[in-house]
Amino acid sequence: MKGLVPLFLGIFGTFAFSWVGLTVIPNWQIGHLNPQMEEDGTDAYPMPQSGMVERGARVYAANGCIYCHSQQVRADYAANDIDRKWGDRRSAPRDYIFERPVFLGKMRMGQDLANIGARAPAEQESPPPVGAATPAASPAQQGGAPASSSAPPGATSALANPGSLPPSAPPPKATASLPTTASSPVAAGSPAASPGSPTQKPPASPAPNAPPASASPAAAAANATPAASASPAGGPPWPVQTSGQPPMYSAAWHHVHLFSPRSINVDSDMPSYRFLYRARRISDARSADALQLTGSDAPPGGWEVLPTFDAKCLVAYLMSLNQSHPVKEVRSVAPAAASPAPAK
Amino acid sequence: MNATGIPLKEPSVSAVAGDTEQEERALIDASTRVPVLMFYTSAMAWLILGTLLAGFVSFKLHTPDMFSEISFLTWGRVRPAHMNVMVYGWASMAGMGTAIWLMARLCRTVLRYPLLLLAGAGFWNLGVLLGVGGILLGDSTGYQWLEFPRYAAIILFIAYTLVASWAVLMFRYRRGEQIYITQWYLLGAFLWFPWLYTAGQLMLFVVPVQGVLQSAVGWWYANNLLFLWFGAIGLGTAYYMIPKVIGRPVYSYHLATIGFWTYALFSSWTGMQRLVDGPFPAWMITASIAATILTIIPVATVGLNHHMTMQGYFPLLRYSPTLRFTVFGAMSYTVFSLVGVLISLRSVARYVNFTQASIAYSHLGLYAFFTMVIFGSMYYIVPRLVGREWRYASLIKLHFWASAYGIGLMTLMLLAGGFLQGANMDNPSLVFSESTETILPYLRGRSLSGILLTASHFIFAYHFGLMLLGLGRTSTVPTFLNPVEAEGSEAHI
Repeated sequence: MKGLVPLFLGIFGTFAFSWVGLTVIPNWQIGHLNPQMEEDGTDAYPMPQSGMVERGARVYAANGCIYCHSQQVRADYAANDIDRKWGDRRSAPRDYIFERPVFLGKMRMGQDLANIGARAPAEQESPPPVGAATPAASPAQQGGAPASSSAPPGATSALANPGSLPPSAPPPKATASLPTTASSPVAAGSPAASPGSPTQKPPASPAPNAPPASASPAAAAANATPAASASPAGGPPWPVQTSGQPPMYSAAWHHVHLFSPRSINVDSDMPSYRFLYRARRISDARSADALQLTGSDAPPGGWEVLPTFDAKCLVAYLMSLNQSHPVKEVRSVAPAAASPAPAK
Repeated sequence: MNATGIPLKEPSVSAVAGDTEQEERALIDASTRVPVLMFYTSAMAWLILGTLLAGFVSFKLHTPDMFSEISFLTWGRVRPAHMNVMVYGWASMAGMGTAIWLMARLCRTVLRYPLLLLAGAGFWNLGVLLGVGGILLGDSTGYQWLEFPRYAAIILFIAYTLVASWAVLMFRYRRGEQIYITQWYLLGAFLWFPWLYTAGQLMLFVVPVQGVLQSAVGWWYANNLLFLWFGAIGLGTAYYMIPKVIGRPVYSYHLATIGFWTYALFSSWTGMQRLVDGPFPAWMITASIAATILTIIPVATVGLNHHMTMQGYFPLLRYSPTLRFTVFGAMSYTVFSLVGVLISLRSVARYVNFTQASIAYSHLGLYAFFTMVIFGSMYYIVPRLVGREWRYASLIKLHFWASAYGIGLMTLMLLAGGFLQGANMDNPSLVFSESTETILPYLRGRSLSGILLTASHFIFAYHFGLMLLGLGRTSTVPTFLNPVEAEGSEAHI
């Protein structure tokens, strides 16, 4: 080849072509999306995240969760993600407009997490009680949804005013989920045993934010306790299952799972994140945050295991992952499934 | 000697080269000694560290409860630390070392401004050190291959600027009108990398793009780093070493031209196929899949060119360590690209998209192709820098076979395991953990291959250390893998 000029021009030209084509033009096309909302400006989706959730995303990045977990649901014609109950529609660019960094992921050594927050039982959709107080206090500028975009309006008000929790957030699946989860904790990922997954279709209107289905008043009362006052001696602050584990994908479940994955699913490959937790001697009363550990994981008598702030943020972040809100540009697979569809 | 009219400067047969040319080369080699050895030595240190981290990552993947109390030893931190040590510590530094030596040789001028390079190497080491430390302490940014926190990225960029400005300066001092094929690739690599790195950093951290586009930029960066930085250095090196060792000009200059420009054009458009069926406009992904398929053109032309150059000289693989490693790398480039085409097809990606198969793909590119070519070039270059020949042919052989079997086993394990994992994952009637259970035996197999690779790296590091200490053989004849029979054809190996 003769002459430097054609060589230089070619080197720059080919690269500029790729740079413009794969980053600049897409940025024109989908780089400036806004949240969608109804004609009257209500029901905006998605919403910005609270500070706690953002910090949780950094914990997620720092500890490399992305190397095993994806956060994207592929369309039904492309893969069976939807059949796996990882979501009820494919992910759309709009779902991610407030995420930074975006954790689409490239590996599924663990489950897809795009809708992990949507699969939680209703009363746990907001971050755990103590942690929740923090964001509600700080980001006042975000007014409407301080805790997380996924928390339905009812839950938000519950945050601001714990007293309103029982009416607005009954635990619909608490009792219903008992048999399946209790019988086989191994089947954490199986569609047959994901009780929370289809339940949380966020309602179009703020009022009925959870299916008014089955919850018995007693269970609702039992679940109201953690927000108000923990009852240290009176058993764990979530509906107890026979195996002693919290309901799947609740905040408490996430903490136990992060601390000791194989106590929940013996086949799990997930590393345990014990360094995000601290053991502490119980001073006067057992903390409401203390993990409900069983078997060999349980701390010695008189001790309790508490999540660090990072762990709480991480769980708040996980609970915020929710793409169940319909978006206009994507067809939902089961648009009418506002009530929990029984798993196969 | 250029019977075909091909204007080749360096890879002309040395028998013709006069004494003055020999002396000139010796002078050039001597001038590159300190900077290139500094890059190589740093790279070797990173290679050993990265190997240890890799072993840790591989074992922890099927033994997840190891060290779970220690934050900086959690799998999700050690893995990016391993990747970045290998990408920026080992591969980039060794690649730059080779590129510097090739630039000096091909510009036919003694290396000027060595201080630029020494400072560059120093800053680069500092950047990688800070970056890896940052990742282990929990400062990772969470973007693949851009995990280094910003303070490390800036230092890395300063280091890079020093090296690249040296390359441009050197180019101005070159003698002769013709620019050899290798120089196209090297110039390309030196000019593409800063743009790539700047674009990645700017669009992700300084003025971040919105939402999913971050992922698009991230994969665009990662794939182009693989192709336009490592790929370009690797191919350029192969274009030098193969004709050089066998003492015969490149088969076709025209094929090389076609190969280079189609490579620059098509491989730079790949990347989005890694995001197949993700939340993106379909055209982006389709464009990348099409580009990936079109990379068959440069692969075929480059492969054909190397093959025709080697035609009739394959027996030399028995003797020359450089040739053996380089040809292995060049062949792996073909395999790497074909696997890339295969797993980018939508019908296949449905199964392998979120599986270990993509790890196999990265290792094919970075190890089987690039690292093997660089090993080959080091076997050629280091004796010319230290004035000694490699001490033990047996160690070179061990290094080669451990590396070749190690990477072969790893690729097979991860590809086969990945396909099974993906098939199970796509079957919703199976519990999800079934898919990860399926791959566990393959991951153990991968750990086995890791032992082979670890052995090969320690052997090479030991041998390299001997050379550094001046304990190589003093001989005028290079170290051959096998004793050369008296044929005369290996005179210029």
